[in-house]
Amino acid sequence: MCDWCLKHGNGKKWYMNAKNYSNELAKDLDLEDYLTEQWMNFETVFIRKIMGISSKGLGYKLKMPIIGRVLRWLAERMIHSESKNRNPMRADGHFGQVLPLEDAQIILSELAAEPIMENYCMCRWMQKGKKEACCINFGVLSGVIEKLPRFIPKDRVVMLDREQAMERLEEHNKKGYIASVWFQPVPYICAICSCETPECGGLRLRNDFNLKAVYKAEYIIQLDHDKCEGCKACVSMCQFSAIRFIPSINRVMIDYDKCFGCGVCRHACKFDALHLIPREEYPGFDGKY
Amino acid sequence: MSKTKIRIDYSKCGENGKVDPRDCRKCLEVCDPCVFLMHEALGYKEEDPYNPQHWRITPVWPSVCTRCFYCVKACPEKAIKISW
Repeated sequence: MCDWCLKHGNGKKWYMNAKNYSNELAKDLDLEDYLTEQWMNFETVFIRKIMGISSKGLGYKLKMPIIGRVLRWLAERMIHSESKNRNPMRADGHFGQVLPLEDAQIILSELAAEPIMENYCMCRWMQKGKKEACCINFGVLSGVIEKLPRFIPKDRVVMLDREQAMERLEEHNKKGYIASVWFQPVPYICAICSCETPECGGLRLRNDFNLKAVYKAEYIIQLDHDKCEGCKACVSMCQFSAIRFIPSINRVMIDYDKCFGCGVCRHACKFDALHLIPREEYPGFDGKY
Repeated sequence: MSKTKIRIDYSKCGENGKVDPRDCRKCLEVCDPCVFLMHEALGYKEEDPYNPQHWRITPVWPSVCTRCFYCVKACPEKAIKISW
């Protein structure tokens, strides 16, 4: 349980609280205009200024002695902003958490607000030049994206029912993409993405610059040493290079500091050696999101 | 390690060039660490944000550049320069 669960979780994990998906909340926060503005300008989000400092070359700027620390503080404050005057063009208050397929399917089957749609992943388009329909959006955001033709695949049905959405997500997850759920903006939840490093904007900030735009999942992977046969199939599935093959012991080793708990490696394991356990049950990793 | 500087000549690519970055985007496709960002240039909002002349490619994350020079080789307009 992180701070966000305490604030917006109502005693549960933040993304399991049905209130965060409700249309009433969206109406209260007047999100239709906010999200339209944000998605109209989505590609420019990384060149917007943080308090007058351009975020171009952010990696170098964060390493500068004093300015770097100030900039980091400002960027974190911007990412997690809950204030009234959030700037939609900088995507203030837009952050998320990695989650395993099972949790994502609970969201899609029970919690997500209709209509549900699948649209092009903007990160993959603006950073890798590829259009791939793999982001599942719901609630108010679907209505917003519907009006923006560049996000909509032309060759397929974009409006999904709950069953189809779950199937699509499973397909992406088995391919190796990480499921992640997003506040947009906090506390409204309206997207489940299938992310990949390095082009995902959130994972870029988290992995390369250690800004908490994406939190690690509520789970962590556990390896059954006796069952692992050393086939190395899971190594290729890990987006965070948390799994390493050690030839002398002929099995894989897990770097728990790097594990995000997405559970994608389980799809590759033929010997049932990998399992997810709640993060707080693993010694020393409670609260390390 | 010294800073990697990536420069794109916008007279060849983007608003003043003949190529629309959205059609070419070869540098994005070859870049493994995804250093480049393809976006609409700021300040055009009042006119028409989707005008092809208003799109450009910016190397936003030079700190993750691996200096493989694939983008330099891939650019048909020879618009990218890398130095450090």
